[in-house]
Amino acid sequence: MTSKKIDEIKSAFLKEIENSRSERELYDIKVKYVGRSGQLTKILKNLKNVPPEERKKIGPLANVARQAIERAYEARKKELGEQVDWEKERIDVTLPGKKAQIGSLHPITLAYREIEQIFSSMGFEVVEGPELELEKYNFDALNFPKDHPARDMQDTFWIKSGGSKRVLRTHTSPVQVRYMEKNKPPFRIIVPGRVFRNEATDAKHEHTLHQFEALVVGDDVNVGHFKHIAKQFFSAYFGKETDIRLRPSFFPFTEPSFEFDITCTICSGKGCPTCKNAGWIEIGGAGMVNQNVFVAAGYPHNHFQGFAWGFGIERLVMMKHKIDDIRWFESGDLRFVKQF
Amino acid sequence: MKYSYLWLKELSGTKKTPAQLAELLTMRAFEFEEMKTEGEETQMEFSILPNRGHDALSHIGMAREICAIEGRKLKNGSLASLLEAKLPSSRLKVEIKDKNLCKRYIGAVVENIEVGPSPKWMQKWLLASGVKPINNVVDITNYVLLELGQPLHAFDFEKIAFNGNLTSNWKLNFQIRKAKKGENIKLLDEKIYGLNENDLVIADREKPIALAGVMGGFDSSITDKTTSIILESANFDAVSIRKTRTRHNISTESSYRFEREIDPNLAGEGAARAIELLQKFGGKSVKIVAYSDIYPKKVNPWTVKLDVNYANSLLGEKIPAARMKKILENLGLKVRTWKLGFQVGVPTRRIDLKTPEDLIEEIGRIFGYENIKEQPLSADVKTPPQNAKRNFENKLRDALAGLGFSEVMNYSFYGAEDIAKCGLKTEGHIEIENPLSMDQQYLRRALIPNMLKNVGLNLKNFDDVKIFEVGKKFREKNGDMLEISLLNCMLANESKTPFFELKGALEALLSNLGVENVKFEAAEPECPVWNPARLAKIFSGNVKIGKIGEINPAILKKYGIKKRVAGFGLKIDDLLELTKKSAVFKPVSKFPVVERDLSMFINKLANYGEIETNIRKSGGKLVSSVELFDVFEKEGEKSLALRLKIGSREKTLTSAEIDGVMKQIIYRLEKDLKVKVRK
Repeated sequence: MTSKKIDEIKSAFLKEIENSRSERELYDIKVKYVGRSGQLTKILKNLKNVPPEERKKIGPLANVARQAIERAYEARKKELGEQVDWEKERIDVTLPGKKAQIGSLHPITLAYREIEQIFSSMGFEVVEGPELELEKYNFDALNFPKDHPARDMQDTFWIKSGGSKRVLRTHTSPVQVRYMEKNKPPFRIIVPGRVFRNEATDAKHEHTLHQFEALVVGDDVNVGHFKHIAKQFFSAYFGKETDIRLRPSFFPFTEPSFEFDITCTICSGKGCPTCKNAGWIEIGGAGMVNQNVFVAAGYPHNHFQGFAWGFGIERLVMMKHKIDDIRWFESGDLRFVKQF
Repeated sequence: MKYSYLWLKELSGTKKTPAQLAELLTMRAFEFEEMKTEGEETQMEFSILPNRGHDALSHIGMAREICAIEGRKLKNGSLASLLEAKLPSSRLKVEIKDKNLCKRYIGAVVENIEVGPSPKWMQKWLLASGVKPINNVVDITNYVLLELGQPLHAFDFEKIAFNGNLTSNWKLNFQIRKAKKGENIKLLDEKIYGLNENDLVIADREKPIALAGVMGGFDSSITDKTTSIILESANFDAVSIRKTRTRHNISTESSYRFEREIDPNLAGEGAARAIELLQKFGGKSVKIVAYSDIYPKKVNPWTVKLDVNYANSLLGEKIPAARMKKILENLGLKVRTWKLGFQVGVPTRRIDLKTPEDLIEEIGRIFGYENIKEQPLSADVKTPPQNAKRNFENKLRDALAGLGFSEVMNYSFYGAEDIAKCGLKTEGHIEIENPLSMDQQYLRRALIPNMLKNVGLNLKNFDDVKIFEVGKKFREKNGDMLEISLLNCMLANESKTPFFELKGALEALLSNLGVENVKFEAAEPECPVWNPARLAKIFSGNVKIGKIGEINPAILKKYGIKKRVAGFGLKIDDLLELTKKSAVFKPVSKFPVVERDLSMFINKLANYGEIETNIRKSGGKLVSSVELFDVFEKEGEKSLALRLKIGSREKTLTSAEIDGVMKQIIYRLEKDLKVKVRK
């Protein structure tokens, strides 16, 4: 009879703890059954009043039940301890994140990196030169005659000074001569840098610009080589097959001289407003290095051949990203810079 | 230059439409600019670059190009038969005083001129070329200019230096000389010009009557009352003309051509052609009564040798020699065989063809650059040398971007106003001789002024601004002009002490770059742009690498900036020197590190730097880090709370040892710096 009661107590306990929600609740249940005045405890306490033969039967049963209750209690306690109230955890995940920012690099810097990477992969060395340049390197060594309309082709900022005449360089070409004075062919270099043109600014014109010069010199470098490298470069830069075409032009430091165009990147050469339906966009100037430039750099006359090629970065970037006004580049306006 | 399509068509015999011509010429010779069509006529504008200013600024020159490009030679290259008959020269005496400035002068006195309109066909072609018809005499001079490229001028004979006393025994003296001091002249534009002693003028016995090669005098201009003229067809030195016209700020069709150097032989053709036209359209019985041609040093055709293999090597094609010969001959050059290729006789009008490369360009462009095939370069596969500085600058940029700074680029100049605003001095600044505006007067000696403008601009659109610039500054020192690469950073936000936020970024940057032993020392500003109470010099060991501070609020006010601004500047070349090592792994300590907090009252004048230095000195290698986590000020007393990390790399320290270190640290702080450590 009592053994039946013990079983009932144990079952009741097991059932109750199943529904317990918290450790506190669980503890109270435990107290109810095996606490000082607990149901099972009462039975155990009463054992002394029970005849010995019954005691021998009930005693162990009660202890077994008590142990089972303890174990179940511990197990349930562990379960409850590991249980998480997920509703308390809930947050509104659509709220904005804590403000963090990675700064933006200037689009000219990004263009330089891309361009330099493409050229480096073709074995070109990156060489730089001074922005404040001697007239001798900016004009004379590049075969510009003195007092000549050719100098008009580049509006120049002159520096006030006694002594050697200096300018803010109008192109990166002076670095060709500086490099050749210290190095022998064969070589391939690119010259990135800031250049200056003394003209009024408007949506298409700036006085402070960034340019890129490529110079390849060797024993038999020719126009065909130039076309190949130019095509490789532009195709890589625009991420698609790009054709180039050369038109006759004139620069004092190259002979023959060309201006070159690339397939319009917008319409792929079919014709559109950007390229005024020509299918081609004018991109830069180039030519075979004039022998007088080699001589000015200290090479023997008619010993080497080379091509030189230059283009403006702003123009390229404006085309690639559809920027409407060249003056954004030097504006310092973060509304512009942060877009890149 | 603007060309008449119909005129070009007549001279060249081309059957192409204007659009086809535009395309063809652009690909082979000159860049097409634009065209205007009216009825059957089209005005076409092409850009002629300085190297072809000698021969292509004329319809005949352009027609010759068109023929050569179409694979044939221009027929009727010389339009005027040079005057056969011997013409009286004695009555017109021409003296060239400066033979270097005037290579040839032809003067012809022509009587029985009847001034009236020029023939309709001539007017049409003048208009189509963008020139307004005026009267037959003026029109003929303009026509010859446009047809042959030779500038001409016509003086009214009677207005020249006879003071009304014209007798039939007249004798006329012309001098081609430099202007004398004090001379001036009223030109055709009705302005009076004060002449410079380097200006070349045409003068009679008394005074200058024309600014040579640039513009004729007003007093002797052709009117409808003119009955006899002096026709001038001459050749003037390009540099001199360029200097004169720039000096007086004039530009005419005549000066434009002379500036680009013209063949002196063309003067003869021009004179002959003009006279021919005057005889036809200048009056019923036009008569040449005097003709003087002074040509001291005749220019003869020259020869250029062309090595055929070199030509193909430069172009990268294998153009047959016969093809090359045809191209050159179609351009009007004389080609004779030579052992390595050709000896090419260049006519005097092609002043631009002096070297083999010049000829190769002619061959290449007529052959068509699109016909030259691409070729890969064959070269050593090797890695080019790295540009250490550029790579370093890129690293700098990336680290700063990671810290939340965005890059700006500013102009390399600024004006006197910017210099004054920042309290800088103009000395040491390099000045521009020909700025277009006031803010281009000086090359920047500091990046700060332009960056302050950036901060002011951006605060209008953003609450806080974090920017940097990598750029060059310029200064003059002891006669040297220096160009220095700098990194400048600026930060503006709500904070009362943006200095510390920027300092944190700077420390992170320097740590990232591997710059060691970074120390900061309070500094006295040498320049009012800094806030004197918030400026520090930055050191790596004993080397000063830059400055960091806040901008003086008085200066910020001038820029309309209402928030506090912190900034720092570093010299890139110095920084590069300090970061050349590559990282060596430092073994991580196996032994535990223990934290101990230290709170102390310090007197107001003590600085944190001294306290940290003192702690590290006392604790030596056992102090692995010192971190300030609280600063507390109350009633004039300042209290600092620091967290020290104590540990050894060799063993686990006992608590007695740790206590010992702390005791030593506290003892020294109290003794050396008089702080009061709180227990």
